[in-house]
Amino acid sequence: MVQVKKMFVLPDLRMSDLISENPYLMLMLEHFGIDLVVSEKTVRQLCKENGISEELFLSFANLFNGFQPSVTITYSFSDLKTIIVFLRNSHQYYLEEKYPQIRGYIGQMFELNEQSAMVMVEKFFDQYFAEVTEHLQYEDQIVFDYVNNLFDCFEKKQAISLNADYSVNDYQEHHGDIEEKLEDLKSLLLKHLPLRDDQQIRRKLLFSLFELEYDLSIHTQIEDKILIPLVEQMEHFLKTTHDK
Amino acid sequence: MTNNNLHIVIIEPSSVIYEGLNAILGYSDDHFSVSRFGKIDEIPNYSVRKTVDVVLINPGLIQNNLKVYDAIRSNLPQTRWIGIVYSFFDQHLLSVFDDVFNVYDTPESIISLVRHITDQHDENEQGPQQEKLSEREIDVLKLLTAGNSNKEIADKLNISTHTVISHRKNISQKTGIKSVSGLTIYAVVKNLINLEDFKE
Repeated sequence: MVQVKKMFVLPDLRMSDLISENPYLMLMLEHFGIDLVVSEKTVRQLCKENGISEELFLSFANLFNGFQPSVTITYSFSDLKTIIVFLRNSHQYYLEEKYPQIRGYIGQMFELNEQSAMVMVEKFFDQYFAEVTEHLQYEDQIVFDYVNNLFDCFEKKQAISLNADYSVNDYQEHHGDIEEKLEDLKSLLLKHLPLRDDQQIRRKLLFSLFELEYDLSIHTQIEDKILIPLVEQMEHFLKTTHDK
Repeated sequence: MTNNNLHIVIIEPSSVIYEGLNAILGYSDDHFSVSRFGKIDEIPNYSVRKTVDVVLINPGLIQNNLKVYDAIRSNLPQTRWIGIVYSFFDQHLLSVFDDVFNVYDTPESIISLVRHITDQHDENEQGPQQEKLSEREIDVLKLLTAGNSNKEIADKLNISTHTVISHRKNISQKTGIKSVSGLTIYAVVKNLINLEDFKE
């Protein structure tokens, strides 16, 4: 994935300046559920207004700007709620906006480029989209609900009662490779599929694919490097406190 | 040759050392993505999902575990292994790595080592990027798109499954396409197979 390294995000920087430098941060705000009109507010003010912990916000924003999250940051269990909201909103963006947009471009491209392989590209994308939908719905319905339940148990100081056999480890195994077929599609469009009269639409399509890829790769990192370790800690905490 | 997106795994128990390395790699001009693992055993599972280009590892972690190290390493021919040295280790132990660096080395030399070591392997393994598939690779590709498994391809071409897998790796590297359905489209575009032969 192309990612130019940007400014390291700090609490006292103005959000509008950060967006001017890296417009993808608009998407991040949207996933957090923060209004796009940020006026002159700093990161710190935005976090406070929206009830988001600064550490979490900075980690995410820096991921968008190309910096790995530091392992020395400790997130609190209450960040889990925010993380789940963020991930659910991202899913909604993929399913309801980004993928349909890409599908639309492929349809338009097909009208201009009638070679037989284009039929296969359409089919390839539809199958791929079905896999993605299935995976995202699995996360929405099983994984995120599980995490929310876990968090409720934590708040009410209950033992883990529901889904005692399930653990976030099972989830890692389910983690399908969504990014791989996206890469395949880009290779086909950029390297192999001969151009007809479809240059403009192909460029729009490729831009869309790159945007999706950018967001997805950060999404995956948030799940792997922040969400899963935090849930494991909580599972451990709930088990050990209950066993006593 | 592109050094973009080299994926580096650091296996180092000291957080201070890890953070230091992460920062050095993070602020270089190259785009490295860095992950940290506690144990070498986590590599095989992980590498199924993501290609690991370079592993930086504390030699102490494999000292009494050389068999495991050899096994993991031989399964990942593309991956380069670099030892992180900050105390005395036996020369023999250090010789099992592709290279080593000392934590007292300058950041520039550490970055240049990481960069250099991946350059080398690109030259060895494939030379300048050539996209054209060899005849044998085309044979494998055709059988693959016809729905054959690695084992079936091996039997039909009279080669080992290991060779089939290595052909498949090369095909994916040259075309930039990994999935069988994606490769099928490639094969149709390049007139290697007929759409008519392929009804599914």
